[in-house]
Amino acid sequence: MIPLTVRSHYSLMWGTCAPRQICVAARRQGYRRLALTDTDNLYGLWPFLRSCEEQGLQPIIGAEVTETRSPQRVVCLVENEIGYRNLCRLITRRHQDGAFGLDIALPDHAQGLIVLTQSPALLADLHTAGVSVVGALPRRPGRGAVKLRQIARYRDVPVVATPGSFFLEPADMMIHRILRAIDLNTSLSRLPRSELAPAEAWLASAADYHQRFAAWPDAVQATHVLAERLAFAGPNFGLVLPPWGGSSERSAEEQLRIMAYQGARRRYGRDLSESVVERLEYELRIIAQMGFASYFLVVRDIVSRSPRICGRGSGAASLVAYCLAITNVCPIKHNLYFTRFLNPGRTDPPDIDVDFAWDERDDVLNAVLKHYEGHAAMVCNHVAFQPRMAIREVAKVFGLSDREIGQVSKRLPWFWRATFAADDRLLEHLRALPELKQLDFPEPWPAIITIAQRLIGIPRYLSVHSGGVVITPERLENYVPIEQAPKGVPIIQWEKDATEDAGLVKIDLLGNRSLGVIRDAIANIKMNGQDFDEQRWEPEDDPATQVNVARGHTMGCFYIESPATRLLQQKAGVGDFAHLVIHSSIIRPAANEFIREYVRRLRGGRWEPIHPRLADVLDETYGIMVYQEDVSKAAEAVAGFSPVEADGLRKIMSKKDKARRLKDYKERFVAGARKRGVEDTQIDAIWDMMMSFEGYSFCKPHSASYARVSFQAAYLKTHYPAEFMAAVISNQGGFYHAFAYVSEARRLGIKILPPHVNHSDIRWKGHDRTLRVGWLSVKHLSAGVQQRIVQQRRVGAYPSLIDFLKRVQPDENEVRALIHAGAFDALPPQNSRAALLWQLVYWQKTRVHYSAAPTLFHQTPDLEAPQFPPQNKTERLRQEFAVLGFLCDRHPMVFYADRLKALGTVKACDLGRFVGQHIRAAGVLITGKVVHTKHGDPMEFLTFEDETGLIETTFFPKAYRRFCAMLDRSRPFILYGRVDEDFGALTLTVDRVERVPKMQQTQSCLSEENPNQRWKAVSSNPADSRISRQRYL
Amino acid sequence: MSERSIIHLNVADFAVAVERVVDVRLRRRPVIIAPEAAVRAAVYDMSEEAYQSGVRKNMPLGRALRYCRGAVVLPPHPDRYERAMARLLKLACPYSPLIEVTDYNGHLFVDTTGTGRLFGPPPDVAWRIRKAIRADLGFDPIWSVATNKLVAKVATRVVKPTGEYIVDAGEEAMFLAPLPVDLIPGLELDDLKRLRDFNLTRTGEVAILSLLQLDVMFGKRSQYIYEAVRGIDLSPVFTASQKQPVLRADHTFGNDTNDVASVCAVLYRLAEQIGADLRRRRLATRRLGLVVDYSDGKRTIRQARVYPATAHDNGLFAAAQKVLMHAWTRRIRIRHLRLMCDRLTFPPAQQELFADTESRRQRHDGLMVALDAIRHRFGFGAIQVGRTLSASPI
Repeated sequence: MIPLTVRSHYSLMWGTCAPRQICVAARRQGYRRLALTDTDNLYGLWPFLRSCEEQGLQPIIGAEVTETRSPQRVVCLVENEIGYRNLCRLITRRHQDGAFGLDIALPDHAQGLIVLTQSPALLADLHTAGVSVVGALPRRPGRGAVKLRQIARYRDVPVVATPGSFFLEPADMMIHRILRAIDLNTSLSRLPRSELAPAEAWLASAADYHQRFAAWPDAVQATHVLAERLAFAGPNFGLVLPPWGGSSERSAEEQLRIMAYQGARRRYGRDLSESVVERLEYELRIIAQMGFASYFLVVRDIVSRSPRICGRGSGAASLVAYCLAITNVCPIKHNLYFTRFLNPGRTDPPDIDVDFAWDERDDVLNAVLKHYEGHAAMVCNHVAFQPRMAIREVAKVFGLSDREIGQVSKRLPWFWRATFAADDRLLEHLRALPELKQLDFPEPWPAIITIAQRLIGIPRYLSVHSGGVVITPERLENYVPIEQAPKGVPIIQWEKDATEDAGLVKIDLLGNRSLGVIRDAIANIKMNGQDFDEQRWEPEDDPATQVNVARGHTMGCFYIESPATRLLQQKAGVGDFAHLVIHSSIIRPAANEFIREYVRRLRGGRWEPIHPRLADVLDETYGIMVYQEDVSKAAEAVAGFSPVEADGLRKIMSKKDKARRLKDYKERFVAGARKRGVEDTQIDAIWDMMMSFEGYSFCKPHSASYARVSFQAAYLKTHYPAEFMAAVISNQGGFYHAFAYVSEARRLGIKILPPHVNHSDIRWKGHDRTLRVGWLSVKHLSAGVQQRIVQQRRVGAYPSLIDFLKRVQPDENEVRALIHAGAFDALPPQNSRAALLWQLVYWQKTRVHYSAAPTLFHQTPDLEAPQFPPQNKTERLRQEFAVLGFLCDRHPMVFYADRLKALGTVKACDLGRFVGQHIRAAGVLITGKVVHTKHGDPMEFLTFEDETGLIETTFFPKAYRRFCAMLDRSRPFILYGRVDEDFGALTLTVDRVERVPKMQQTQSCLSEENPNQRWKAVSSNPADSRISRQRYL
Repeated sequence: MSERSIIHLNVADFAVAVERVVDVRLRRRPVIIAPEAAVRAAVYDMSEEAYQSGVRKNMPLGRALRYCRGAVVLPPHPDRYERAMARLLKLACPYSPLIEVTDYNGHLFVDTTGTGRLFGPPPDVAWRIRKAIRADLGFDPIWSVATNKLVAKVATRVVKPTGEYIVDAGEEAMFLAPLPVDLIPGLELDDLKRLRDFNLTRTGEVAILSLLQLDVMFGKRSQYIYEAVRGIDLSPVFTASQKQPVLRADHTFGNDTNDVASVCAVLYRLAEQIGADLRRRRLATRRLGLVVDYSDGKRTIRQARVYPATAHDNGLFAAAQKVLMHAWTRRIRIRHLRLMCDRLTFPPAQQELFADTESRRQRHDGLMVALDAIRHRFGFGAIQVGRTLSASPI
């Protein structure tokens, strides 16, 4: 018996097991061969092939193909290379044709495939059409099967036993049912039977199957005969590089050489120095040798579609890439080594990532997909259940409410997956989490968590990879089935690791907000009539910019604006390019202690390399591993790894399921190092430092590319603060909210002008130390209205609100938002928002009268506007805050000035005078980040802000546990704690937090909440009622 | 017609007041009433002290306790409040046939129009009722006298938590003018928001506006607002007896569930209860309603006509199941089911046309009679239909 219809969890939301588990189980049950036939896809092809190899099984490749509009289905098994291509085309067609029918589609793609069907009618049709078809007997002999056998015998077609499987053990039925319930959005007791796999659809042993088919032993025997014909063991494409379709008769190599030299002259002037020529020649030789010339040309084609890009990844080490304008950092000037990017010893594909401005990326991508239509598609992600999602979804099936679920799932720390996912004691771990201490996990939580544990890692749906594009010489569907993602782009059925396994080379085209910021800021500068020459722009050499970078005044600047980086900048006190490259790379989740050590050494602290062998490798970075390639360099130097081996180690670090393979590497590392006389303590220290690269890390060329963009941003911030901040806020999505950026602008001495119906644009505008609020910051304002406001203004300025209403036709809530934001304050009646609102409602009322059919009594009341009381100032600001999310002319903290003065709080700008002392300060929460101590206790770094500056605070585990639930952005807090100084960077170590007491009479302008009313003022005069009573009694 | 006079009695923080009567030790301590089940507790009612500390109705209990650390938390006892309310009603009953009880929240409107000859001026009546309540239940209700319910209600709000207030006829507008608009009952959040937009915070400021101006600002709501800010309210005092009888049966799941079988089992049991109740009254129902409360507090209500009118468990269950199909659309667990029936009528006397259906009906009638007899003698749980076995005990 050979199982010919096995489904893995890649039959999304039906199957429950990974191909690896299936292979292990099959091996255990004594199978030699096994077919993986997932429904309408080859998602699991590469994991399956890898697992078969591990388990010593001989794979059979296939897929189950269904019809779109009927339950009809067949299983296609691949006989040979042609069959594989046909299967890919067939599945592609299944996904792209809304009326896909097997009887029509199959005969076109039947060559090289064996088709298994349970339907007697389809069997007859396909047989007539010349398809090599086989009758498939389902789970047990039955009445339907008899008919199939009859027809098969009549047509002399073999019949095989195909008891399909969706899971491995009978108990897995529960997981299957949960998956179905999640998929159908229903509860367990309401799942219709037709939506479930049969209870016995588990992978049984051969003996079991023999027993089930005891009536028809020939059908079982026939599986072996059939399997004989299925010799295909997986496709072998080699390395598939994008084709360069240049029109000239020159070869790609010649073309690359010409273009590289042209580019070099553009970059370095007409006379190229010897070092440049030498390096170019060397690189060109290697590229030609490895056959990557076309790849470079294709990437160049793509980047030439946009004026502003940032090429990054290890490719930034290539001078050729720099000359082709793929990257922007000179590798010679900044010591970036090409061999790390390409060398003849490596077999894996080159890796160049390119960033485009975030709002231009999609256009570039679409242009590429269109240009290479049929040959290009994006890589997909197999989005699998993460612990949080698994718990949430299972709990939903059990009928728990969002609130109940949120109490558990929202408190799970983000890093949680990495730590516990592998292990099967989820509930115990959950109970141990300090964030979940108050919960006692009543029924049905234990069941939910036990099941959720089983779901972790099961893929749920496909999404589009953030930027990976695959371009192939032949039509893409000859390599891999293609689907259409919901947003309309074609995607291949493999995620990035499988794509790499298959040998398809991907190019990453990503969106980057900061490129948009730089673009907009420069456009704004030019619009203001100033000159800005981008060609000769060398921001990293500008002293004023370097000073700002060294002080950490980089809020809004790409990649160096987070509190952690700004504090590092302050501590380091250096602002040159070389150090910024180090800093961009050293800020990693697991590298805290190395950062501290780095600062100490940078500030002149003594240090020795851990081992002399490391001296050369890490001298540039003060003996600390900073870049990704330091891992492989160290492995080579200390343990004598070969370059390929060392590179393998580096790669493993960024993978998800690394534990197993990492252990292997460690053994080899320790053995290698011992042999070279390194002491065990040193080995451990080096290995620990290597492990700090877990998760994500950068290589040096990548960091340098980023640092270049950071410097551009910092330069603009230094010299054109208004234009720069306008661009930062307009491009949104920075590290902070608009509120924080507005405060930062105010601190830079910029005046914020409120939105103005005759002056504001959609985006913010900077001009000469003023910032004009743009429409995009007004809540409730639709994109259409934003555009109409600007369009209509080209016809002429708006003289009045009524004129505006007539021309722009906004919705009511949009006009209200505009009025409250102050956009009409300059129009008549000046400065009375109530009167403006009256104009609005009156206009609406009368407009309704006129626009309807003429009425019999054609009268509209000609009403005088009532005299409204003057607006309370706090109320006015509260409304402004509600609409904009910030205040234009002041910091909201000034409302609390009186209260805070009474409390004697210290302002942010004065913290420096209180180093080492316990103080109180007050501020609004801006941003925060939870990290974990060595013992696994959570703690938090939070940034607060008052009207004078930022307060960086540390909440150690004790304070964090006590106050984490209380902090939010809706109001200011009083912080009690000690001011600490570390190499010039000030932080407040908080031990207690309190809310700032509410102001009497007026509410906080930050909070929109209107407390339930209970009014006391009049009632507090009991005399009134007593008098009235006496009168009556 | 002479001026109406309406007395409004309002026991402040009614639930707390009741609990304090039950347990005098609570008198000097802040009290919060909230269901104890830890996950979902929201404040149901609180004492004045707790209110002053910032606790509000419907606030999550956890937050409420942070605001008011020393508070005693008690679970709500709707039965106690119901009984206390009945007692209040009883004490007011001698003075007027027109008494309106809105809910079990300590509010009572007594229409004393034209009773002056019998009982004296309305404030005297109010004074006497208050005295009686104090003597009998130990509450100190706020009372007010005014010409309509709206003004009377505002008057008690003004003096809350203790006191009394009399608004003379013709003085309504004057009384309301200095008060904040959010004290006026019937003004919804949207209205208040809009009033705030126009900087109108005091009732008097709104009363200056003409009906036409209000119409521009508030559209359909303008008439109500126009009258309310002037203290005009013509709505009568409804007595309890004017309402249609409704039979109810409730079940709260010990463990919330979304399992079809258990929900149907409970539904059958509710149908049995309603059926028994109907048969005892010798009535049948023509309409069934079902209230489904989910774990997260959302509520769905659906109803359906029952034709022909029935009092049979089976007929009721079949109808109830249909209603359940419409009402139960989410997969969130159900916490509470309430089956209701109204449009009560006498059972149809029409016999079935065909003999066998008629005999089946008679057999069924017989079964119901037998069931009722057993249950009457030995208790409701003495005999049970198989399908309800899986349901948790009531």
